[in-house]
Amino acid sequence: MNVSGGSGNRPPRSNLEEEKTSTTLKPPALGRAPHRARLDKREPLLGWLFSAPAVLGLIVFLVIPIVAAVWVSFRDWNGIASIFDSESVGLANYRELLTDDGVRRTDFAISLRNNLYYVLGVVPTQTIIAFILAVILNQKLLKGKGFFRTAYYFPSITSSIAITLIFVFLFQTNGAVNRVLPFQDIDWLDNARGVIHNFLGVFGVEGPAFLTENEFMGLELWDWLAGPSVAMVAIMMLVTWTSVGTFMLIFLAGLQNISPSIEEAAVVDGASSVQRFFRITIPLMRPTIFFVVTLGLIGTWQVFDQVYAGTQGGPRKTTFTPAYLIYFQAFTNSKAGLAAGIAVILFAIIMFFTWVNRKVIRDTGDF
Amino acid sequence: MGNDQQKGSYIVRNVRWWILIAVIALVAAACGDGGAATTSAGETPATTAGEAPATTAGEAPATTGAGTGDLAGVELKVWGGSSGTAEDEALTELLNQFNSETGANAVFEPQQDMTTALNTALAGGDPPDVFYVDSNNLPDLADAGALAPIPEGALTEPDDIYPSLREAFTYDGTWYCPPKDFSTLGLVYDPAALEAAGVAVPTTWEELAAAAEALTTDTQAGLAMGVEYPRWGVFLFQAGADLTNPDVSEITLDTPEAREALQFVADQYASGSFVRPSDVDAGWAGEAFGQGKAAMTIEGNWIVGYLDQTFPDKEWAVAELPAGPAGEGTFAFTVCYGVAESAPNPDASWALIEYLTNSEGALAWTSAFNVMPARESVAETWLNDHPELEAFVTGADYAHRWGFAPGFGDVIGVFNEQANAIVDGDATVDDLISETVSAGEDVIS
Repeated sequence: MNVSGGSGNRPPRSNLEEEKTSTTLKPPALGRAPHRARLDKREPLLGWLFSAPAVLGLIVFLVIPIVAAVWVSFRDWNGIASIFDSESVGLANYRELLTDDGVRRTDFAISLRNNLYYVLGVVPTQTIIAFILAVILNQKLLKGKGFFRTAYYFPSITSSIAITLIFVFLFQTNGAVNRVLPFQDIDWLDNARGVIHNFLGVFGVEGPAFLTENEFMGLELWDWLAGPSVAMVAIMMLVTWTSVGTFMLIFLAGLQNISPSIEEAAVVDGASSVQRFFRITIPLMRPTIFFVVTLGLIGTWQVFDQVYAGTQGGPRKTTFTPAYLIYFQAFTNSKAGLAAGIAVILFAIIMFFTWVNRKVIRDTGDF
Repeated sequence: MGNDQQKGSYIVRNVRWWILIAVIALVAAACGDGGAATTSAGETPATTAGEAPATTAGEAPATTGAGTGDLAGVELKVWGGSSGTAEDEALTELLNQFNSETGANAVFEPQQDMTTALNTALAGGDPPDVFYVDSNNLPDLADAGALAPIPEGALTEPDDIYPSLREAFTYDGTWYCPPKDFSTLGLVYDPAALEAAGVAVPTTWEELAAAAEALTTDTQAGLAMGVEYPRWGVFLFQAGADLTNPDVSEITLDTPEAREALQFVADQYASGSFVRPSDVDAGWAGEAFGQGKAAMTIEGNWIVGYLDQTFPDKEWAVAELPAGPAGEGTFAFTVCYGVAESAPNPDASWALIEYLTNSEGALAWTSAFNVMPARESVAETWLNDHPELEAFVTGADYAHRWGFAPGFGDVIGVFNEQANAIVDGDATVDDLISETVSAGEDVIS
């Protein structure tokens, strides 16, 4: 009992431990080989046993829901009756979303367009701002670092719903944002016009025929090019403000991992500060940038809270996002199968962008 | 020797592990059962699963009649999307009366996001005993087979309930649940503003257009109204048009009458005598009206409590909606008390609903609010207490229901989007009609 109660079940991991085992078990030379052999046999089972609580949690809360979501996406489930009473409809949900002409495909296309512009706007902005802030906070001479770190990180740990509600007030037509901005009042949260359309409109461009006559997924090409609506831009600002703090911290950790000796060597070699930033800091930060952009992509493709609390998809569906559409179809329109289909497609989209991101960051790197 | 010892202890220890895992599994399983057991098997062994199918199948009168007597100790969970503490308190008080009379233990659990909470509970097989069902949500629930129809004899004098409200909770010929109350849309106006502008309360479209124009000043619009189907729809009814036919098998929006109605509304927004609440920086039409940014609005009973609370000094009055070329028309918004098909204790649930919706219960409930009782027989009594709200009650005579077919939310979404585009000047009435019709045909087919 005593012998096995010691370290008998554990395979020796370090030399130190091996020595301990060998001194307790006597005689070492003879007993060791068969003992090890039996240990090896038990090892997998015991390994599973010890990791069982964690693995069980993963299976129940991760694997089963994912498999179930894919399964539901092939069924005509209304989200109300038992899921086992639903009928299998094959690819009908996907056809409705991707190929069949109709309101659901158009809605899905609108949500994809909105979210694409949202991602294109938010991910670069938040990454660049977070990087700049991190570099500033990494200066040795800066005073009050702790204060700035806390101040920038604060929005990230505040409830997104609470922040959204405050921003809704700020963005009112007679709210603080319009008071501060020098130009005429903007109806931020109710303006459905795309900013690219607005910009082109200044030059008198109003939807050339080849763009308005052709459509993709039930949405005119001209509408695909609308750009984010003013309301969406407001949400983009809100989210950037919220998420910059977290990414700044990640960048800061990355920057502090760069050995000062490299920087010093560059100084000795006569590199200017701009050269050092672009030739040393950025290449060395590449893994962190990949990490931050990936997290940004995943987060932005799933934007929901701000839409739910701020605009409910309006004005005129310009803040509809796939995640909000999932909620709408599953819970208010009793189309849980369709919603699961959107979720699976959204998953594929996020995987794709993450893969592209990985490719780009890897291929441009020289290490 | 050491080997044997080890082997033995290994097995022993393994056994211990397995026992531990088995215990955890059992505890987990027991917890899972426990939740359901407290409401069904635990308290009322007589009325569990075994009897439930029989009740709905036709033995209802007998069991319901007998059921009222043995409610002692029965746990009943009531869910509702509450409008606020006033509603919570009023319903809780009614439930307490029911409890003291019958010995049951009915508890109201207000839900923040009612549809989500209810759908999840239904899909999970553990629905509350009684729950609110919005008329708009009824087709989804009924189509999914989640709702139990009203057992015969469960309600006293069901014919006393307004036919339009019974209709609102009828799907495929089956009446599923009795309304708890209802609200209609009326023309809410500021008498002082009308007097100042020298206009009478409008009773026709022409008068409405003229009054709205006369009332429009730099700081005040004639009428504030949300740009959405639940408001614009009343003009369709007044023109003799409708979005769908009565059994929602066909989209009937592409008619000259509908075009006329929508054009009339669009013109009012275009001329600036109607405004969208958000355009005057208000969250909804009631707020715009309360702040004096509009002299009139088209809203329902809920505006009364809101104005009393938020703008206690605001003067207001309600008139029936102006009549269109085809006469009068309004919406009735209503919520019923539903029972799940899989309800653990349907007899007790229906007994409670009967208590809440009979003429006495309906009156007690609505006296606490500004909503109206769903029974014609008590309308007069209610009006004596709320004489200023007569227009809302009269609306019940020609009100249309709010509710369509499963999955129809997409179509309403298209209508609202296009309506807003019209107000923004980016679309025409024809665009709205063609887009809505094609969306509607997608969903209905």
